[in-house]
Amino acid sequence: MRTIFRMRLWVLVLLIGIIFEATDVEARLYIDITAPSMRKIPVAIPDFKDLGKRSEHPELSSRLSEIMSNDLDLSGYFKPLDKDSFIESPDSGITRDSINFRDWSVIRAELLVKGGYECIGQQFKVEVRLFDVFSGRKLYGRRALGSLGESRYLIHRLGNEIIHTLSGHLGPFLTGMAFVGTSTGHKEIYTSDYDGHNLEQVTSYKTITLSPRWSPSGDKMIYTSFRNSGTVLFMHDMIRGSVTKISDRKGLNIAAAWRPNGEELALTLTISGNPDIYLIDITGRILKRLTKHWGIDVSPSFSPDGEKMAFVSNRSGSPQVYVLDLTNNQVERLTFEGVYNTSPAWSRLDRIAFASSSDYRFDIYTISPDGKDLRRVTQDRGHNESPCWSPDGRYIAFSSNRDGDNYHIFIANANGQNQRRVTFSDGDQLSPSWAEHPK
Amino acid sequence: MKKSLLIATLVVFACSSMFLLSSCAKREVVVEEEEITAVPGPEVEITVEEEAPMEVEEEVEREELAEIEPLEEVELAKVEEAEPGERALRAARFEGESIYFDFDKSFIKPEYRSILEEKGQFLKDYPDVRVRIEGNCDERGTNEYNLALGERRSTSAKGFLTSLGVSADRIEMISYGEERPLFLGHNEEAWGQNRRDDFVIIKE
Repeated sequence: MRTIFRMRLWVLVLLIGIIFEATDVEARLYIDITAPSMRKIPVAIPDFKDLGKRSEHPELSSRLSEIMSNDLDLSGYFKPLDKDSFIESPDSGITRDSINFRDWSVIRAELLVKGGYECIGQQFKVEVRLFDVFSGRKLYGRRALGSLGESRYLIHRLGNEIIHTLSGHLGPFLTGMAFVGTSTGHKEIYTSDYDGHNLEQVTSYKTITLSPRWSPSGDKMIYTSFRNSGTVLFMHDMIRGSVTKISDRKGLNIAAAWRPNGEELALTLTISGNPDIYLIDITGRILKRLTKHWGIDVSPSFSPDGEKMAFVSNRSGSPQVYVLDLTNNQVERLTFEGVYNTSPAWSRLDRIAFASSSDYRFDIYTISPDGKDLRRVTQDRGHNESPCWSPDGRYIAFSSNRDGDNYHIFIANANGQNQRRVTFSDGDQLSPSWAEHPK
Repeated sequence: MKKSLLIATLVVFACSSMFLLSSCAKREVVVEEEEITAVPGPEVEITVEEEAPMEVEEEVEREELAEIEPLEEVELAKVEEAEPGERALRAARFEGESIYFDFDKSFIKPEYRSILEEKGQFLKDYPDVRVRIEGNCDERGTNEYNLALGERRSTSAKGFLTSLGVSADRIEMISYGEERPLFLGHNEEAWGQNRRDDFVIIKE
């Protein structure tokens, strides 16, 4: 895993170009990602300096710092400080020599992000430096080049590297979200960046479309959509925009999940007369029947190695989460607390999130696949449903109606800290799916 | 006197069945509208229709709500014993009466057995009729689980009808899960109305 990240970083270095000035990061661990709860680091992100001679696009000055600030806020590791509290003189620069760090320590900033940019026509240049306010050391510095339209993307990218510098892993800022939205009056599939920006409507079927799931590589998406005959499972090629029917068997074709190899899916069919889970290939051919029980079996989610599958069954009388071992067909019940446990989602870091209710108010919990270490993620804030994990397993997304009647997508750290709303459209936003490399 | 009563009765039948049939027909039309071009082979572009669907949806909701209203008229009609239009009347009753379920349950409650028996008799008396049972759930729980639960609810009713001797191939099923609530509230009154099987005649 580490090597992959390092390689990816090396690629980033090549792509983005020059590292200017050697950075002197010591072995100090700023963000301990293994800690059960974290203290947020106070960070100051003043407006970016316009370094251009002709001052093109002065509005970017505050916009770029806002994107960076929003990223660092959503990461859950930082507390971005209020710009109104900044006392630094406007003549200060963005390099170490031109910064009076006392201006920042006085307002209790521990980290300082300084940025500058230059626009020449459609060309966009940005540089960002991260300083430790206490010692005055530079921890990170990078210059990036792109087109004006890519400015948001480039800030996300630099933000990812800042997270990497401080924690050893990349941030989630270039990941993407898919979800069901109702703003047209129909349930359609939408995609957006992880922070809710760049919203796009993927389907316009004017019927009911549910359960979007990105493929592991992010180039395809599956979803269930109603036709006259009932539910049909479709695969949407996100690069070409083409749509293929995967399963339209008589009865239900719902709630499909990708196996992590990206070549197989599990879904619920009723061809036997009862809702059971089947393994199919991506052309829709049945490979194996995975569950065989009189009860309802739905909502599969695979373990990172693809050898186990969590699912929901009411075989005990109420919906509960079970785990099937595909190597020996053993089924174990995972959840015992709460009368109604659904929507299991298995993370890359081997935690299972699910929605649980004992009084019809739903909340998100996570649990270890062996049934130990149950932890509550949401509490006393509306209904909270449909959890899904960020691709790296460090964040959790879910839909909640805590802000009123409608449901919106929220993200939080895996431990439930820093719950933040990321969608603001009309109607409901439901059933999120999170992709590492959305296409 | 008798004649005029008969005529009056017929008018009531005609009106109520027209209403029911037309509201059903409208629902069918909406479903048709929702249908997009089928996607046979792989990698066929789906045509995107640019319409303002908001109004359509609102109308649908209003119409679906309106469907509850004629029940009283149906009740009235039930008292009459006229022969002409009996089929239309019984068809209207077949479609007009839903059966309801307990939360997270799909078994047929005893109080709905007589309704299902009546539906079974109707299907036996008119062997050319084909029907669809639509399973529905309240909003609580996940969409996915509720789709399965709705399927089980329609399966229960289908099983009841086939046990009475109705051929299984005359009965189609569809589950809408929690996607088509008739009552939009967030309380037991609304939920109770939404946990139901609807019965629709698809061919007479």
